[in-house]
Amino acid sequence: MSAPTIKRTGRAPAPAQKPERGPGGSSIDRQRRKLLVPFVGPAFVFYTILFIVPAIAAAWISLNEWAGSGPMTFVGFKNYIQVFQDPLFVKSFINTLLLLFVVGAVIFILAFAMTLVLRDMAGKKVVRNVIFFPHLVNALVFGVLAGFIFNPGGMVNTLLKPFGVTESPAWLAQDNIFPLIMATMVATTTGYFTTILMAGVDRIPPYFYEDCALAGATAFQRLRYVILPLTWDVFGTCAVLWTISSIKIFEIIWVFGGSSGAGIPPTQSWTTAVYTYVTAFSGQSTPAYGAATASAIISLALVSVLVVLLRRAMRRDAIEF
Amino acid sequence: MSTTFRFSKTLAVLAGAALALTACGGGATTGAGAKDGGTVTYWSMWKVGEPQQKVIADAITDFEKQTGATVKVQWQGRSNTTKLVPALNTNNVPDIVDGAYAKLAPVLGNTGEALPLTDAYATVVDGKKVSDLIPSKYLAASNIKGADGQPWMLPYSLSSDAIWFNAAKNPGLVTAPPANWDGFMALLNKEKAAGQVPLAADGDIAGYNSAWFSNLVIHSEGPGSFAKIAADKTGAAWDSPAVLAAAQKVQQLAQGGYLINGYNASKWPAQQQAWANGGAELLLNGSWIPTETGTYAAKGFQYSSFPFPGVTGRPAMARADFVGWAIPKKAKNPALAQKLAAFMLNKKYQDAYGTRALVLPIRADALTAPEMATVKKALDNATEVYQADDGVTFPGYTTKVYWPIDDELFLGKINATQFVAKMKTAQIAYWKAQG
Repeated sequence: MSAPTIKRTGRAPAPAQKPERGPGGSSIDRQRRKLLVPFVGPAFVFYTILFIVPAIAAAWISLNEWAGSGPMTFVGFKNYIQVFQDPLFVKSFINTLLLLFVVGAVIFILAFAMTLVLRDMAGKKVVRNVIFFPHLVNALVFGVLAGFIFNPGGMVNTLLKPFGVTESPAWLAQDNIFPLIMATMVATTTGYFTTILMAGVDRIPPYFYEDCALAGATAFQRLRYVILPLTWDVFGTCAVLWTISSIKIFEIIWVFGGSSGAGIPPTQSWTTAVYTYVTAFSGQSTPAYGAATASAIISLALVSVLVVLLRRAMRRDAIEF
Repeated sequence: MSTTFRFSKTLAVLAGAALALTACGGGATTGAGAKDGGTVTYWSMWKVGEPQQKVIADAITDFEKQTGATVKVQWQGRSNTTKLVPALNTNNVPDIVDGAYAKLAPVLGNTGEALPLTDAYATVVDGKKVSDLIPSKYLAASNIKGADGQPWMLPYSLSSDAIWFNAAKNPGLVTAPPANWDGFMALLNKEKAAGQVPLAADGDIAGYNSAWFSNLVIHSEGPGSFAKIAADKTGAAWDSPAVLAAAQKVQQLAQGGYLINGYNASKWPAQQQAWANGGAELLLNGSWIPTETGTYAAKGFQYSSFPFPGVTGRPAMARADFVGWAIPKKAKNPALAQKLAAFMLNKKYQDAYGTRALVLPIRADALTAPEMATVKKALDNATEVYQADDGVTFPGYTTKVYWPIDDELFLGKINATQFVAKMKTAQIAYWKAQG
């Protein structure tokens, strides 16, 4: 069943593509090479101008002390040392990792569970839309809603009162905001990944399940031996998508604490993205672009390393069926 | 890594499209033909529809009529200063911007990117020089002066703070407000004993929380004293008994049960809403509070206030944060921009700020709304003025050092001694990292 060569299917984003083995014999291969420049060229130029050049500029700025305008002073790695020695940065970094790993794990466990339940469920299309919906809602809405729901006189406490709960937890206390944000992220993102995973599960031919039924496989065995191997490349893509997006999580934190943008969120809920933003654009003090870009470069390095490691860990030969 | 590459490619295309759209937007505003009087580009902190915007828009119309100049104004909102920073590195620099001192200083004043407004201050408006129109005590606040000793900012209004209350419910406070901190605490205790909730505070806004400690230090040690403490690289300034005393007063507030239950776990504007609906008697907040809470205040609410409790024997003080104009050094038409700034200080517009926009105009002779009467009186009586958090703008100091630790004190997590110790340690580390 498993083929040694990788065949592009064109459905899901392709896994890391290895260089073609036999140096282009067929005419299709030659055609392909001819089209490489016109097709990849424009994107490459855009990518270079909009990403590579700014990234190099950022790397340069991170070695300087700069208020965003006016004179720049070269300070070497001082900004990096300063950022790493800042307990706030360390705290923000830990929060970023919590989002990436803890929220990520919960999301994927739930998404797989839902995929299994939804596969045989009547009206699964409707359900799929319903669970996908939170992903469409702007994070700002959740930030504002948090106030309505969790304020001391908010919905939750009002609902709890008839049950005799008068000393309800301080939901929006500074230390509780980050766990609430994590829960919100799970609620809003699970549907998105469920939808992608389900697309992968849906293309598994039904005869595999019939086979399972005949062999008397349990639901878990079916997951372990059929569904997981056959959706592995989809899952790998989702994991990379989550890694990239989780490290950039910003707006929900900005609006959840700190009064929907009127203030600054409590430091307990900062991530590296928020740390970077506050350092450069807090509006309350002289901008420190050097330190901000240093923090951004560290985040970039983190994403790159994690994505490479993830791709490596998830590397399997694609299974054709 | 083809997945990431594709993903980035999509992003690249999107970013390109966004850039193209922005470019179109920019072209539309800069492409109009100029009249003889020259052209000036103005990035405003107000958005279309805000009361202040209407006043400024009227003034601009009059200015264009009288001088034949063209003012290309962009109502950008509060993010105008954030947008200014990258713009300063390009040729697309506005001729004039407005904003609060705390926002303009970090991007223009402190970085030496602002033009000295000598000409604007020398202009004659309503028969008087601009420098004479603005009460000297505000101009004496040295921090709007650049390295060359010339002011780089021309203020047009002030924001101040006060302890606000409903005069319909507490008429006694109008005639006999507490004179000092002990009087203030006595008032809180009296209300608490009477079964009232004395105080409201939106504890999630660090800048509101820090007003207590900053004001207490400034009122006992004088304007500039908190900035001096913050600038002390050895951190020894935090050992002063006066600093501890101020922190103890904040601790007293936080742990004395004076604030609405749950103030430490709520989201702005829940607490000021509660206050405006009678959930608490007093609120320390800015001069903008009547406008901000006006829409949801209880029926018959009469805004009144008394100044932050002073220290007996100390001169009367008031917080006065400038909102005003600044002109970047790179402006293409700085002369006309200065002319515009001075023009907008005409009494007609200053009166309109006071009566239509309900803010505090900078000119002492301008009219103000009844809601502002008590704050205006406090400002007029003050012999010394100070700025919020004493105008401290060291990079990241407020947001990363002072506010987080002050929050812990005001939200009742640590006591005064712990606060002072934490601040000292954090400040030493901060200055060491700054090098």
